[in-house]
Amino acid sequence: MGKTATLAEILKEKGISLEQRYGGEPPADMVDREVKKEPTPRAKKLRDLYYQTLSSANMEFPYWYTRTYADNIHDVPIIRRAKALKAAYSHLTPMIFPGEKLVMGKTHYYRGSFPMPWLSESFYVAKEDELYQEAKQRGSTSADELVKWGQGGGNVVKSFGNVVSLAGKFGIRKEEVPALLRTARWWVGKSVEDEAAKYEAMVPGYPFKTALMRSVICMFESGFTLPQGREVTNYYYPLQYGLDGLIRMCEEKKAEVAGESGGDLVSGMDRLYFYEAAKLVLEGIQAWILNYAKEARRLVEVTEDPVQRKEYEEIAEVLEHIAHKPPETFRQALQMQYTIHIGVLNEDAISGLSPGRIGQVLYPYFEQDIEAGRITEEEVLELLECHRVKFTCIDVFASAGVVGGVLSGNTFNNLAVGGLTKDGRPASNRLEMLILEAGITCACPQPTLSVIYDEKLPEEFLLKAIECVKTGTGYPAWMNNRVAMDFILKQYGPEGMTVEEARAWSIGGCLETSPGSWKPLTLRGKTYWIPGGSGQPTSVGVHFLALPKILECVLFNGKDMRTGEQVFEPHNREIDSYETLVEIWKDYFEKAIDVLNKCNNIQHDIWRKNNMAVWHSILKPDCLERGKHIGNGGYRYNATFNVETCGTANFINSLAAIKKLVFEEKKYTLEQLKDAILNNFGFKTAEEVGSYSLLQQEKREGGQIYDDIHGDCLMAPKMGNDDPYVDEILAAYEEYVCEVPRRFLSLYGKPLYVCQISVSTHAPQGAATLATADGRLAGTTYADASMSPYPGTDVNGPYAVFNSATVWDHSNSQNSQLNMKVHPSAVRGLEGARKLLDLTRAYMRKGGFHIQYNIVDSRVLREAQQKPDEYRDLMVRVAGFTQYWVEIGKAIQDEVIARTEYERVG
Amino acid sequence: MLRKHNDCRNFVTVDVSKGICRRTGDLILIDTNTCEHFTELPKCKNCAAFAAGNEENIGICQAEKTEHWTYPELMAVTCAWYTHK
Repeated sequence: MGKTATLAEILKEKGISLEQRYGGEPPADMVDREVKKEPTPRAKKLRDLYYQTLSSANMEFPYWYTRTYADNIHDVPIIRRAKALKAAYSHLTPMIFPGEKLVMGKTHYYRGSFPMPWLSESFYVAKEDELYQEAKQRGSTSADELVKWGQGGGNVVKSFGNVVSLAGKFGIRKEEVPALLRTARWWVGKSVEDEAAKYEAMVPGYPFKTALMRSVICMFESGFTLPQGREVTNYYYPLQYGLDGLIRMCEEKKAEVAGESGGDLVSGMDRLYFYEAAKLVLEGIQAWILNYAKEARRLVEVTEDPVQRKEYEEIAEVLEHIAHKPPETFRQALQMQYTIHIGVLNEDAISGLSPGRIGQVLYPYFEQDIEAGRITEEEVLELLECHRVKFTCIDVFASAGVVGGVLSGNTFNNLAVGGLTKDGRPASNRLEMLILEAGITCACPQPTLSVIYDEKLPEEFLLKAIECVKTGTGYPAWMNNRVAMDFILKQYGPEGMTVEEARAWSIGGCLETSPGSWKPLTLRGKTYWIPGGSGQPTSVGVHFLALPKILECVLFNGKDMRTGEQVFEPHNREIDSYETLVEIWKDYFEKAIDVLNKCNNIQHDIWRKNNMAVWHSILKPDCLERGKHIGNGGYRYNATFNVETCGTANFINSLAAIKKLVFEEKKYTLEQLKDAILNNFGFKTAEEVGSYSLLQQEKREGGQIYDDIHGDCLMAPKMGNDDPYVDEILAAYEEYVCEVPRRFLSLYGKPLYVCQISVSTHAPQGAATLATADGRLAGTTYADASMSPYPGTDVNGPYAVFNSATVWDHSNSQNSQLNMKVHPSAVRGLEGARKLLDLTRAYMRKGGFHIQYNIVDSRVLREAQQKPDEYRDLMVRVAGFTQYWVEIGKAIQDEVIARTEYERVG
Repeated sequence: MLRKHNDCRNFVTVDVSKGICRRTGDLILIDTNTCEHFTELPKCKNCAAFAAGNEENIGICQAEKTEHWTYPELMAVTCAWYTHK
């Protein structure tokens, strides 16, 4: 064996199997995906343009926001913010791209976004000199460096020509860098991040909190990075009343509440300011739409092509209508939905703003237009395809750690189909069938799709969703309606949630169960009950605690052995039993939640005082009725803050290995295990090797002395095999982790709950973690999700995975997450489709909350890693979202490749 | 002053490096030579109320009673105070 032998080679030589497939061998030749359809020419052209587009940022919105905010220093905070927002919306330059039917964008770029220094400016002010100097030195033309664009899809990973890379993803024109820095400097000391930091420092244990952040035990802080998101927005009010109607409503309400406290001790008087702020922002949104209408009219005048000219005329008519009145047609409603949506995204840094069940929200317009012959299904499909491209163009601007480390550049605009109606009937409809069809014909990451699975849903609908899964795009994901309703009723019952209202829930973000409500939409005299989001963000709270890293700190007396920093107070206890180990881990876990929650509460309190949502508050029930914005408790459901975890499988598997090898069989002492962990079981680090997959790790010279202990750790019981030994540990952990967050309160005085997804954090948090007792090596990516087994360790088939995953009640958690990679040949044809549906049903019937599939031949992924330029359109499911392969980091790519591939599912 | 494609009204800005010419439908780079059909796009640098500042790519907007800093490349298509110089 050579000194650079990989773990895969070493295991093979020793006759140890860590197969990354189940159910036999795949076909000899690489197999493509079975279901492939093409979009309409219009959508194809627009999607092709997207493929060539760089993620771009500009300063237009931040400039006008900051200028106006600075001008109104003496105003009431919400009025000051509303004036700034109005100025920013009103000044956005309209840009209509040839061929578009749905228009408007976050910025005038096709895939545009912008920094929000009023939330956080540190990550670019800190780099001020470097940025400025770089921008000054760059003077060459960009033409010579065009060839670099292919790398990383649309990510601007480094500067070129007159383009400066920000956060490793966004390009900004070098001419705008001085404006960026000047704006950011103005916000130093005033941003949510800076303001909150002053008060966070008053929290006892604040240095401990900063150590937790440095160690990456906690991934990020939501208050100033992504203060909203992973929630479902609501389109009801603009659809029902129109913008003019809402402005009138605000004027009437102002007259009603001016000078009246309404009997409220504190915030009753605030109602006047809220309605005035709402009116200002509505006017800003209106001006933004009308600027686009004006641009469309200009284009009518300068365009010679009669077809294109007519399309610009239609665009102008649609916009001129929805700027004032409620929509009357499907196209108007769809345009309004998109405008409302990106309006929210421009108001705040948000990831995971989900449109929710818009197939049901927009159904009234679809139904009446089809019946009246105003539109055909072919035209609806084309619009839905354009809608997909427009959603895929949405970017969120945040720091590299957040946008790369957490989000993998994704924006998680989750569109859900299925579920139940207000009165408990199947809610799927013909428009949702077309939404699924558009997901097939126009495959692109956004909006990602989810099926709210209920036994009542028709077979035809479910098989259509399976057809969509077989495109290999990773959507739709499958969420269990009954499990979610149970969770929703438990969590929001104290705020008045009923069974009927629980049926209005939907997915916010990846797979965050989010409360909703029903509203009566009236169109041409007919009333439809439509669902919509009615809860606060769920992207908030203690976000991503690295479970295996906390265990590492327990083993090393509170110290992070990667950085050498003492993170937790030393426990100074002899770990002489499994029970002691778990007890100390729980103590550390709770101490981490306590301090992180307190600091997070302060961040969000500063946010709600200075940076509150105005536009989003207009949209969400019951702010307009109550006269309260989100921060004053205007939303119907407020118990949304949570504790997110990462690394469940590695943590549980590590506990099992320690319990078995150290405390029961006593094959190794804890000191021997710690020595092996510190020495990475004799392997190089993942960073040295340049791979983040376990099997590709290379042995260090002389590392063979750890072979026995490593082999035993790898062969210790693993989650996902229907093995009671480890499953009992999982069940005990889940009982604990579903209960413990409830001991902590959010700033709204509501108990926290647990959220068990990983997004992309299993890569950076894995990178920060030494080797673990389950045999995972230092720096390699954790298992994804929460119920996904560690790659290659699930050897007993899918039903064994399901048995393991459902040893606990999933309705005690906001979610759970299970990803499976299935070879396309395993689900080929109608028979294969039925097998996949049966498999999904089986998991749902066992009480699993969520499952999603990558239908892909792993060899395609390996080839795509070698030849990214040939796979610009390849998409994969990561952990709750679909993303272009070329735009995700290598650590996640390696993890997706390493996942067990199922060659059969029957 | 050097004219870039994103200074032209006929240019549809796709991203930080390129866009589409409405006249030809071609995808072109921002930092390449413009043609005879160049039509000036309202930007702060083309406004009568714009004054150069001391810092590169930063100027002064004199449109209101209170002066504000601005930057020459800021598009002014939607600015009520824009007056071509």
